[in-house]
Amino acid sequence: MQVIVERVNSKEEEQAVIKAVEVTEEISGAIELLEGDSKSFAVSKDGKVYIIKASAVYYIESVDKKTFVYTKQGCYDCKYRLYELEVMLGGYFMRCSKSMIINLKKIKNVKSQISGRVDATMLNDEIVVISRGYVKEVKRRLGIG
Amino acid sequence: MNKFKLWLEQTMMISFAIFVGIIIEGLVYSFMGDNLADFNMTWVQLVSVILTGAVCSLPTVFWLADTDIPKNKYIVRIILHCIGLYVVVCLFGWVFKWFVKFDGFIMMTVIYFLVYIFVWCVSLWFYKRDENQINKALDDIRDEE
Repeated sequence: MQVIVERVNSKEEEQAVIKAVEVTEEISGAIELLEGDSKSFAVSKDGKVYIIKASAVYYIESVDKKTFVYTKQGCYDCKYRLYELEVMLGGYFMRCSKSMIINLKKIKNVKSQISGRVDATMLNDEIVVISRGYVKEVKRRLGIG
Repeated sequence: MNKFKLWLEQTMMISFAIFVGIIIEGLVYSFMGDNLADFNMTWVQLVSVILTGAVCSLPTVFWLADTDIPKNKYIVRIILHCIGLYVVVCLFGWVFKWFVKFDGFIMMTVIYFLVYIFVWCVSLWFYKRDENQINKALDDIRDEE
């Protein structure tokens, strides 16, 4: 496959366009890599350390300077701070409020509230609030803003 | 910064709605037999409209937008907000002489409530549009579980 790299001036302009006859395993791998889904990081639960893939994460929350990672399997402690994870994960992971990072790929649907906030129902039916101030960024990440 | 942008947006929307209200007022008076040529605004009145928009936007930004309170309490807040802004508008109307007679005061009251409803309708329409756009975009990236 021919690969073309074009330089852009800002991080916001970065994008990868893949033109293919079909999505093969290699292409899926490349998509995963570009979207940051293949990244893994250490979390802990009940004194045990686990390595989880970013693609398993629903959302990450910071409470009293502690970071908690939520997956289908449950909640884990994480040694990283929210801003570190935000940089580390990138892609479809983004801030949805001051204390939370959400994985856009795990949202079932969203519903606007009268106050301007957006309630995101996750694939596990939990509801995560997206502050109005972050809606524009959500749209940008999804390529509609 | 987001609050500042929201304040600017609200100021523009409210000021625009007041100007539309004034145009409607002029048309109503012309239907009632007044000469449209006599219907004019001084620069002080123009500035006062923008100033009203700016002042009325402040409680919206800091008291109503992006709050995390239950819907019924939020509705009570909207009613108090509506009454509070009406008092502010009456005060501005009195200071900047938007009305001299009682019928002018009634007209200003009608315009106020029309503007209030208009601003809410536009805001809710924006929220709904965002919701639809985001849901549509999420369908393309959602993880299978």
